[in-house]
Amino acid sequence: MSLHGIVMIIGILLGVAGLMNYLVPMLIGAQDMAFPRLNAFSYWVAPPAAVLLLSTLLFGGFDTCWTGYPPLSERAPLGMQMFFLGVAVAGWASILGGLNLLASVLRMRAKGMTPFRMPIFVWAAIATSLISTTATQLIGLSFQMVMFQRLFGMGFFDSEKGGNPILFQHLFWFYSHPAVYVFVLPGLGIISELMPVFARKPLFGYRFVAMSSLGIALVGFLVWAHHMFVSGMNPYLRIPFMFSTLLVAVPTGVKFFSWVSTLWKGKIEAPTPMLFVIGGVVVFLLGGLSGPPNATVATDLHLQNTYWIVGHFHDTMFGGYIFPFFAAIYYWFPKVTGRRMNEALGKIHFWIMTPSFLTLTLLMMRVGLLGMRRRVADYDPALGFDNYHLVMTIAAYLIAISVLIFLYNIFVSIKHGEVATGNVWNSRSPEWQVPSPMPVHNYDRPFEVIGEPYDYGLPGSVYVKFEDKKSKSH
Amino acid sequence: MEHTNKSDVLRQGVIVFVFLAALTALEFFVAIEIGSTALLAMIAFVKVGLVLYYYMHIYRLNIQDDNLDRHSFQYKLGTSRIGLWLFLLSDAFIFGGLFISRFNLLGLTALPLSSDSQFTALTITSVLLLSSFFMNRAEVSMEHGDRKGFIFGISLTILLGLVFLAGVITVEWPSAINAGVTPSSNAAGAVFFIMTGMHAFHVLTGVIFLSIVLRNGLRGLYSPEKHWAVESATTYWHFVDVVWLFFYPALYLIGKLI
Repeated sequence: MSLHGIVMIIGILLGVAGLMNYLVPMLIGAQDMAFPRLNAFSYWVAPPAAVLLLSTLLFGGFDTCWTGYPPLSERAPLGMQMFFLGVAVAGWASILGGLNLLASVLRMRAKGMTPFRMPIFVWAAIATSLISTTATQLIGLSFQMVMFQRLFGMGFFDSEKGGNPILFQHLFWFYSHPAVYVFVLPGLGIISELMPVFARKPLFGYRFVAMSSLGIALVGFLVWAHHMFVSGMNPYLRIPFMFSTLLVAVPTGVKFFSWVSTLWKGKIEAPTPMLFVIGGVVVFLLGGLSGPPNATVATDLHLQNTYWIVGHFHDTMFGGYIFPFFAAIYYWFPKVTGRRMNEALGKIHFWIMTPSFLTLTLLMMRVGLLGMRRRVADYDPALGFDNYHLVMTIAAYLIAISVLIFLYNIFVSIKHGEVATGNVWNSRSPEWQVPSPMPVHNYDRPFEVIGEPYDYGLPGSVYVKFEDKKSKSH
Repeated sequence: MEHTNKSDVLRQGVIVFVFLAALTALEFFVAIEIGSTALLAMIAFVKVGLVLYYYMHIYRLNIQDDNLDRHSFQYKLGTSRIGLWLFLLSDAFIFGGLFISRFNLLGLTALPLSSDSQFTALTITSVLLLSSFFMNRAEVSMEHGDRKGFIFGISLTILLGLVFLAGVITVEWPSAINAGVTPSSNAAGAVFFIMTGMHAFHVLTGVIFLSIVLRNGLRGLYSPEKHWAVESATTYWHFVDVVWLFFYPALYLIGKLI
């Protein structure tokens, strides 16, 4: 089996950590995270984790995909062990990073920044960190138990010794389901953060959007067993987990209503970041709508382990993470470098990626409904969807090409991009009120929050006020 | 920092310890005479509540210092407290996972241990509770500038911690293996060894922390105003105790009578 799953997951986690680590101190007006040394530790465990994960290739790979289900994982070659260790080490970064971020937000906000005057991305970061601080321990534990089973013959998941393989799945999904909210919540936060800037309108229902992030995180802890409808757990457990899963749609729906209402009658501008925001909303809507059929037991028994699930999952990941992530890079690139990214290349990137991505996942769902299984190397041509597969392959290559264009754009723009030292997007956020690239001591003069964060278009309203240079902060 | 009379605080520590000891005895009695899991759970929660409030001072998380200077020691102390408690919360999820695994694999049935190990378990549990008591005395002494009392309390805590570790590793484990419960024998053995092992590992970590704090204390690095290392090591030590308050009945008392 390929490394695709675990590499993408670790990649996304690193991206999430990077976004939160860079943006949150800046947005709350702090100089750094609460525990800078701990932060450095969370960063520097990434190389050993990467080495361990890549070393799986040298030790016979791992046959189980990223889920590592026993009994296969207790018999697989040594690569499996390396995989478990790699995930455990990467987990430290998640746990300690989340802890650090929560402490930072609780303790280091600027003067006057009450909880409901924080930038909305910070709420998403809080929800994300709550999950990663607590639930990550469970994937570590489940993998550790398999390791002990391999090393010492402890029979947790070995039914011959009275163990229970289903227990592994419970422990594993107790982290791994909330983990998908770790991936998407920051992305959804970025959508809510950027949309008012480009619609030039207040964010609709700020408090509800803030609470919906926490709501998703909370409900996310109660839904894990929907991954196990066909794996032999007690059938009566399916019903409560079906309902709790469908409940996720409520806070997510709140976010959609807010986005649509924010756009409603706005003076919408559409530079590249906004294109990716809109693209993200559309793609995430597709992912969201294809979710309830998987949550409903009756249909899931048919859909489980088909390409339908693969399509659904990639829709949510792209809509909830990849698109907002690109939006964030295009949006904050001037803040980091003092130069803008090339607008034309950005638009080409968007207009190649979005249609090919939609083609790809819609066809995935289609072949899934026709009976294409996931995690198989081959399929019977008589099933009659080899043409679909051809189109999907071409679409996937097109996405790759668009990402290459994006990388080229970054390298060119760092050196030769249009100089942009001011408030490029006309934003109210504190970070855009100081020159770009961000000075080493980010806020030379501390600021005080004196208004609502997203009152775009209301004359005379201000979000932050910087102190005069003379007066000291304390 | 509580500006209360030292002898009052010490007396409070003694009263809490007496309650904990009485509840531990009651727990043992409940296990052999009544055998009610629900009662055991209730007693465990009461004990944990006592430790959380009186020994771990969870109320210190109610921080109100918005008007303090952000760079002052007091403000950073509040931040560190939040960080420490978040870490404990995170760690609690590992132990929670183990706890749930025990019930998932074995239900409410007893582990096939001998009655001897039940008595040893009661002994080492008492040792751990006693160590928490002395840990509390050490911290209170430090807060009130009693260096001697601090050194005495922390040394005794380390000693009792080592006794606990020795009890688990040299008495409990061999006696379980003699009774046929080995790590690889069956699910019960696996559960027993991972739960006691994971907890013992945390005790060992705590002993190491406390030894470092003792060394620094002997060098005079702490003062009644600034002793975050003492406070954090103390809180961690009590946390490990709290975990055992759940693990002990789950491993030794449920479903088993002598």
